[in-house]
Amino acid sequence: MSATTWAWLVLLFPLLGSIVIALGYRALPRKAAGAFGTLSIALAFACGIAATVSLLGDDPHSRHHASSLWDYASAAGLDIKLGIFVDPLSLFMVLVVTGVSTLIHLYSYGYMQSDEGYHRFFSYLNFFVFSMLLLVLAGNFVLLIVGWAFVGFASYALISFWYRRETATKAGMKAFVINVVGDIGLVLAAFLIFRELGSFDYGEVFEKAPEAFATNEWTIVAICLLLLVGAFAKSAQLPLHTWLPDAMEGPTPVSSLIHAATMVTAGVYLIARTHVLFELAPTAADVAAFVGLATLLVAATMALVMTDLKRAIAYSTMSQIGYMVMGVSIGAYSAGMFHLMTHAFFKALLFMAAGSIIAAMANDQNIDKMSGFGRAMRFTSIAFVCGALALAAFPGTSGFFSKDEILAFAEARGGMYLVFTVLGYVGALLTAVYAFRLVFRVLPGTPCKEAQELIETGHVAHETPKNPATGEPEDTDVGFPGSEHHIAEQNWPMRAAMGVLAVLALVGGLVQIPGVDDVIGKFLEPVFEESPLAHIHPSLAQDYVGLGIGGVIALLGIGIAYLLYVKQPERPRQLEQRLRPLHTLFVNKWYFDELIDVLVVRPALAVGRFADRVFERFVVDGLVSGTAETVRGAGGVVRTVQSGFVRSYALLLIAGFAGLALYFLLTGS
Amino acid sequence: MSSALLWAPLAFGLLGLFLPRRAVGPWAVLGALVTLGLAIAIVAGFESGSSGMQYAVDEPWISGLGVDYSLGVDGLNLFLVLLTAVLWVGGVAFAALREQERPKNFYFLMLVAETATLGAFLAQDLLLFVLFFDLMLVPFYFLFGAWGYDRSGEGGPTASAATLKMIVYTLIGSLLMLVAAIATAILAADGGDITFSISELAQQPLGEGSQRWIFWFFAAAFLVKMPAFLLHGWMPDAYRAAPLPVLVVFSGVLAKVGAYGFLRVVLPVFPDATVEFQEAILLIALASILYGSVMAFTQTNVRLIAGYSSVAQLGFITVGIFALRADGADGAVLQMVNHGLVVAPILIIVALLLERTGSEDIREMGGLAMRAPVLAALFLIVALATLAMPGSANFVGEFYILNGLFQEKIVFAFVAITGVAMSAYYALRLYQQTMHNRPASQQGPGLLSREIGIRDGLVLAPLVLCILALSLYPQLILERTAPTVEKTVAKVHRGESPEAQLANMTIEEKRELESGNLELVP
Repeated sequence: MSATTWAWLVLLFPLLGSIVIALGYRALPRKAAGAFGTLSIALAFACGIAATVSLLGDDPHSRHHASSLWDYASAAGLDIKLGIFVDPLSLFMVLVVTGVSTLIHLYSYGYMQSDEGYHRFFSYLNFFVFSMLLLVLAGNFVLLIVGWAFVGFASYALISFWYRRETATKAGMKAFVINVVGDIGLVLAAFLIFRELGSFDYGEVFEKAPEAFATNEWTIVAICLLLLVGAFAKSAQLPLHTWLPDAMEGPTPVSSLIHAATMVTAGVYLIARTHVLFELAPTAADVAAFVGLATLLVAATMALVMTDLKRAIAYSTMSQIGYMVMGVSIGAYSAGMFHLMTHAFFKALLFMAAGSIIAAMANDQNIDKMSGFGRAMRFTSIAFVCGALALAAFPGTSGFFSKDEILAFAEARGGMYLVFTVLGYVGALLTAVYAFRLVFRVLPGTPCKEAQELIETGHVAHETPKNPATGEPEDTDVGFPGSEHHIAEQNWPMRAAMGVLAVLALVGGLVQIPGVDDVIGKFLEPVFEESPLAHIHPSLAQDYVGLGIGGVIALLGIGIAYLLYVKQPERPRQLEQRLRPLHTLFVNKWYFDELIDVLVVRPALAVGRFADRVFERFVVDGLVSGTAETVRGAGGVVRTVQSGFVRSYALLLIAGFAGLALYFLLTGS
Repeated sequence: MSSALLWAPLAFGLLGLFLPRRAVGPWAVLGALVTLGLAIAIVAGFESGSSGMQYAVDEPWISGLGVDYSLGVDGLNLFLVLLTAVLWVGGVAFAALREQERPKNFYFLMLVAETATLGAFLAQDLLLFVLFFDLMLVPFYFLFGAWGYDRSGEGGPTASAATLKMIVYTLIGSLLMLVAAIATAILAADGGDITFSISELAQQPLGEGSQRWIFWFFAAAFLVKMPAFLLHGWMPDAYRAAPLPVLVVFSGVLAKVGAYGFLRVVLPVFPDATVEFQEAILLIALASILYGSVMAFTQTNVRLIAGYSSVAQLGFITVGIFALRADGADGAVLQMVNHGLVVAPILIIVALLLERTGSEDIREMGGLAMRAPVLAALFLIVALATLAMPGSANFVGEFYILNGLFQEKIVFAFVAITGVAMSAYYALRLYQQTMHNRPASQQGPGLLSREIGIRDGLVLAPLVLCILALSLYPQLILERTAPTVEKTVAKVHRGESPEAQLANMTIEEKRELESGNLELVP
């Protein structure tokens, strides 16, 4: 079978899984639903591999295929087909997405066991995977927007999965609305592309663009900036990032899959996919790179001070995506995609491990209350450390190779781009510190109450769980896990998922060692063969100097964290005191939420209130319908006349109509 | 065929008067189903790719006045006819599952209303159109007034006061339109034989001076019907007064008659005025989008959220028509169908919520999804279609509309698209506040909520299936409507510069131009 046929199957299985599980919410037993959901994703992964094998059989220069099922909406010169585009880039994403998703489904199979909404969860999760695959396989901008919006919806549905929790539904709404803003950016970009090139189709657009646009012409810059609005909203880049930390309200497997490994990287994929356009608009590409850089630094500072375990990891996600956005924007395409893959491994792993600790803590995510889990949950702790090592770019781990590849490229490109290398290393130092801050605060030390209970009895049981944000008791009827907690270590599917990811997080970088092998670079090469930027390669010396610096920085960061959180635990407090303004800024998340509130939310609500209370009452009802009100006020006489008039008009109409009809029937012509 | 479709509901309505009380409900459902069958047959037999009139009936009626009994189906009204038939089945069936007071009168009026609405869509004679347009109002006047809700307890108007307000608004529009229609025919005849045939009137447009004022007379009638910004004063009261099964068809179909009127009458017969006042109408439509959206997210009454969201949606449709481009107008026609298909299920769901919670205020609802997961799932699909989620046919409609506007007037498009973001908020808020969160009090009605029944499900599910089917294949509508729409839009530009004419020509016309059958008007 051809690569495109396999790709259609990749799309089919998750969709089928989602529909079957949704329809069978009463008939299917729990285990069957979970198994079915996991199996459908595993099958999609298998088909993805088959598609890749089939594609590798082609000549490198013709490794791109388009295929379409039917005319989706074609009229008036808009030619929109239900079509996909298969090339190494889209298949790379397919493999990462389905591979990691399979493991997270497996994890969820155990993790969500005590949840009342088990079927709903798997149906949504399958739908998410389908949407994400649609996003990466789409063959034109319209279908891309469809996939883009579908993942946004899936994200909304899963963030507000525990829908009786008001904090969760609010967070879901926030994520959805910000993502719609991103969708609008994409839609406008599509309109502008259509205006200039007369097509939405990838193949046609990328072929025509170089002839149609001069470098940095305003239209192409505008197109790219609009695409970036979409990319930033989805990938939580400044200033459209505020939904991501709140999204941690969802169940932990969701944070792991959607808000760490896959969906949030869509913006990176988009920039890589449309690199032809971005190379024609270097200004826009530079904007993207600087936003990525700013995000990676700002988010790292927030990750340093967050006391909420999942939110701290979420800020770390933002920061790491900042690296990727920076990478693909400066032309380090395969390096950016490589980091996307390794990040998917280690970040999914970190979330899984965090989830298992949070489950033991009855959904309390505050790290101030955690300690001593190293002894209580050995397997989880090892997994957590593996993830943290990779995140901190410890020499030899996956993150070590991928992060450095981006920074080395920036160095090789030279000039202004050296800024990215230098500040990238600053970010790397912060990363190592915050990663091991989490490790040192949660794992060692005297066990907290829950950890102690776990060590002594081997399980934890709590009273009714409470929402840590509001203190309300959780509503266990609608699916919030009850007092029985599933500890990751005691459940083989969760262990298997974490185990595999831990290995990948450690050794996943070995496919791309400078001077030794270049698996991902070679695989993606055909996609970027026409790009002048993709032909910039750092020299081997540059690579190894970079790796050396990176390794030292990682060790330094871990050392600092050790010093601050193990050796001298009182030091962080002192630092907070001394750097009070800075700390306040970080803890308050740089006041982005407040800024958006003042600039957007409040004015909109004020306008709404004005429209409702003043305009509607005095202008619409007062002026225009002055007839009805004032006439009625003027006296009963007029009213009877008026309503009498209406009634007789109505009767007259019926009578007249009947008469005319009769006339017509009788004359019969 | 057109005649059979037109008169079938009325025939069933009349026969229903002679049936026993208990049988009228099912009988009316049967009537609506038969009508639907006829409408489906028309769509099935419709030759796509042709822009001409099909199933045409043209008999002289009042020959002295030049009025013809002239019906026909083309791309402009094909799916609006089908939509009418579908929604009437939904509305009548939903009513029939419940006890109605004075059922004979109720169902008779419902079916009369269907005939009148179908008549307005099918009529190809201007006076016939005006007649049906006004006739539509009569049954709704009685239905709202006699079966509606009295809101005087809540500080609102009584049902009859609310209805009166609606009638006053629409009557003024209607009378203006009647005058305008007669004036058009007389001026066009110019002393010769009078005709009201829309296609003949379109052949010889009036002088620009006459077009100018007549345009606004028609526009007034259509904009009130939609309703557009500043002319929507009747809507909030009428929406709160209306019995819900009636509101289903009223909101789903009647608003579209206004938008349809622009395409059928105004664009072809008054092309010069259309071009001249394009921006004025666009501004009104933009104001409708923004104002409707803003109001929709401040309201707490579910009916009013639906009502104001319709104002915004009709704004989008108007924008699409007055982009005066084929893609915009294609999107507008598609969106008319889409909007009918989403607003009707929303109002049915509102009725179900009212039965379960005893309230129409979203602040008093919440958490219903727990006991009613199927209802929640159906509602979710409808809510997502309402906010024009990409992947839904509503998105395709909006995409076409906004693309048309973007290519024509880019600044307007940037303003209009903010309505998209707001619609995401109000539609999702409506869903979230009713289905999610906790009920206002833990022991509140939300916890006592129950799942949707099988019979109500049989009314709601087919509508949702229509939404899903169209989402998978919006081409079904586009390929049948596009040829007529393109022709209609192209004609508007006939009076413009040759370049503009060329830019707005259909492919068919370009071919004819090349073969020399058609010439550009200098």
